[in-house]
Amino acid sequence: MTNNGSEKYPNIFQSGRIGRLISKNRIKYAATETNFPFGDGYVSDKEVAYMEAQARGGAGIVTTQGAYPDKLGEGKGFKGSMAIYDDRFIPGLARIADVIRKHDALSCLQILHCGREGGVELDYCLMPSIVPQKLSYFKPPREMTKDEIKQAISDHIEAARRAKDAGFDMVELSGIVGYLISTFISRYTNKRTDEYGGDLRSRCRLMIEIIQGVKARVGDIPVGIRLCGHELLDDRGGNTMDESIETFRIAEEAGADFLSVTVGWHESSQSVITRDVPMGHWLPVAEAVKKKVNIPVMMAFRQFFPHIPEKAIAGNRIDFWELCRPMIADPELPVKIKEGRENEIIPCVACNLCFSRLYYHQPIMCTVRPNLGHEAEEDWGYYRFYPAKKNKKIIIIGGGPAGLQCAAVAAGRGHNVILYEKKKELGGSMLLASKVDEGAIELLRPVNTLEALCRKAGVEFRLSKEYTGEMLEDMQKKKEVDAVVIASGSVFKESHNILTPHNIIAEEKKPGRNIVIIGGSGTGLGIAVFLLRNNDYRITIIEEGSKPGRDVNPFYLWQYMGLMKKKNVIFYTRSRVIETGEKTVRFACPKGEIVLNPDSIIMARSEPNKAWHNAFIDITPEVYFIGDAKKPRRLQNAIHDGYRTGMAL
Amino acid sequence: MIPVIDKDKCTACRKCIEICPPQAISLKDDAACIEADLCEECGFCAAECPVNAITIPFPISGR
Repeated sequence: MTNNGSEKYPNIFQSGRIGRLISKNRIKYAATETNFPFGDGYVSDKEVAYMEAQARGGAGIVTTQGAYPDKLGEGKGFKGSMAIYDDRFIPGLARIADVIRKHDALSCLQILHCGREGGVELDYCLMPSIVPQKLSYFKPPREMTKDEIKQAISDHIEAARRAKDAGFDMVELSGIVGYLISTFISRYTNKRTDEYGGDLRSRCRLMIEIIQGVKARVGDIPVGIRLCGHELLDDRGGNTMDESIETFRIAEEAGADFLSVTVGWHESSQSVITRDVPMGHWLPVAEAVKKKVNIPVMMAFRQFFPHIPEKAIAGNRIDFWELCRPMIADPELPVKIKEGRENEIIPCVACNLCFSRLYYHQPIMCTVRPNLGHEAEEDWGYYRFYPAKKNKKIIIIGGGPAGLQCAAVAAGRGHNVILYEKKKELGGSMLLASKVDEGAIELLRPVNTLEALCRKAGVEFRLSKEYTGEMLEDMQKKKEVDAVVIASGSVFKESHNILTPHNIIAEEKKPGRNIVIIGGSGTGLGIAVFLLRNNDYRITIIEEGSKPGRDVNPFYLWQYMGLMKKKNVIFYTRSRVIETGEKTVRFACPKGEIVLNPDSIIMARSEPNKAWHNAFIDITPEVYFIGDAKKPRRLQNAIHDGYRTGMAL
Repeated sequence: MIPVIDKDKCTACRKCIEICPPQAISLKDDAACIEADLCEECGFCAAECPVNAITIPFPISGR
């Protein structure tokens, strides 16, 4: 085992101090909701296994997901939120504290009353004042009475006592994005005229009383708080950034032992954590806090590469590096950095699949890590792949994410794997997708990691080599193949009058000004974004489904649709193309048949390549179709198909 | 978790079919039917169903 990572990043791997505690490094796994606990708030085996993976991964501090402190569930934001409103939850919570301690990390329990985003199973949510909200997930707001405020404060205090009883080393309070404490602090949502509303200090009263109450109850263990350093609610009358920064100072004064700086509310009309936001973009907000306080300051938010927090710690902008999504994608991120294995880190691509699952009452999932939530199940291979019963000779056709993931797993289990890719480059459709907009280049990171993992596992690559039926027949005769995995992607029906995404993005062919795009899923929208970013076009998109971009994550869809609206893109949904001709498209929409005469037609609907099917299906006994070759879908499906098939081979 | 469809409640309105990202739903005997192999467990169908015929089998009790 080498440790050259700790030499390369001495600031990250130095010890840190929080209150009376010393952490082994400056990495903190930050609180992340999972929906793994049970519907009644009890900790599940799944959650314990997930948290143990986080602790084993080498972070100095490991934070639990936010636990709601009230018995009515007004603070409960998600169907599977963890509860801490009664002593009966202590044994389950203690299991999490135990597994964190076992791996030499400091354990931190987060208390989270979701406020404006709470009441998931109720028909209202609690707020300082009634300020309506548009997002459909949220419940209608109800103004808190003073008794309810007192109750919330005592709920937080008792929750902190339970955290201490369960064996946690520290407690964190959450006051961000629209959760209860933040709604009191923000001018946008707090219109109260009693002592809990008014000027900034009065709006902070709830926070102050909670911090002071918790400190008085559990005094000897550190108590920190997550607050918003920049609400990005200027369009709705939110706090100024100066006010937000001042709230951290007030928290310190109230007795907080550490501060976590966040940015944006869920209602902000500016994107905070998507790929278009440059890495380290929000560090100035943390730095502004750091200048005002004398306790440790930490931040997550788009710091996916260690050199960014390394420099930020050295430059006295933050004290600790927090990670949420990058450690959902790879809990072993800290240890891989420390051991100089950065190229093996499974990279978060900021797709926010994890986030969106929560809002649909599903456990979190990860595009790039299929075994998320299965850390303790041996047949999911999180800690190690189980060896194959029989070593097979496997041919994988296609070097996109599906083929690469399948190859990495199959070879990791001991099979002999040869991967054929007809292009000279690996990456498949990611080569196009990575060019769609700013930041999309990050989509190549999983390709690079998978290539590294394949090489480590001994996969043999044959690039610039198209695999054919004749080659298979020949190998079959020589007994050189036991199984074939077809991961060759999908094809766009080409013809002289129709352009494909490949023509537009890779070959940079310029379409005419009036364009019809056939297919309004992610591919169709991606092409439109690519074209509209730099030029003006008149675009019409024809989609069979009921809404455009149904396969696009909401975090990106609203940005894309904003651009479409600005550029007057016309959508026809529930519409089917009947025929295309020389500059004509005839299609049926709910109102009847329409004929358009664009300058260019772009086909953004692909289909699996049936030719492979016919060529191979009779030759070899084991044939698998994965990724787009099975059915054209998204990156997550390609990687998950590849992983599952690699484990089944 | 793969959603569960109550075939008696389903009115075959096709709204889930039109929203399903991987197109894993089709009509079978006048009721929506999910192809488990293609389902990506997003829960969109359950949120979209106008008659609450689709539910996510969330494990309720850990007691």
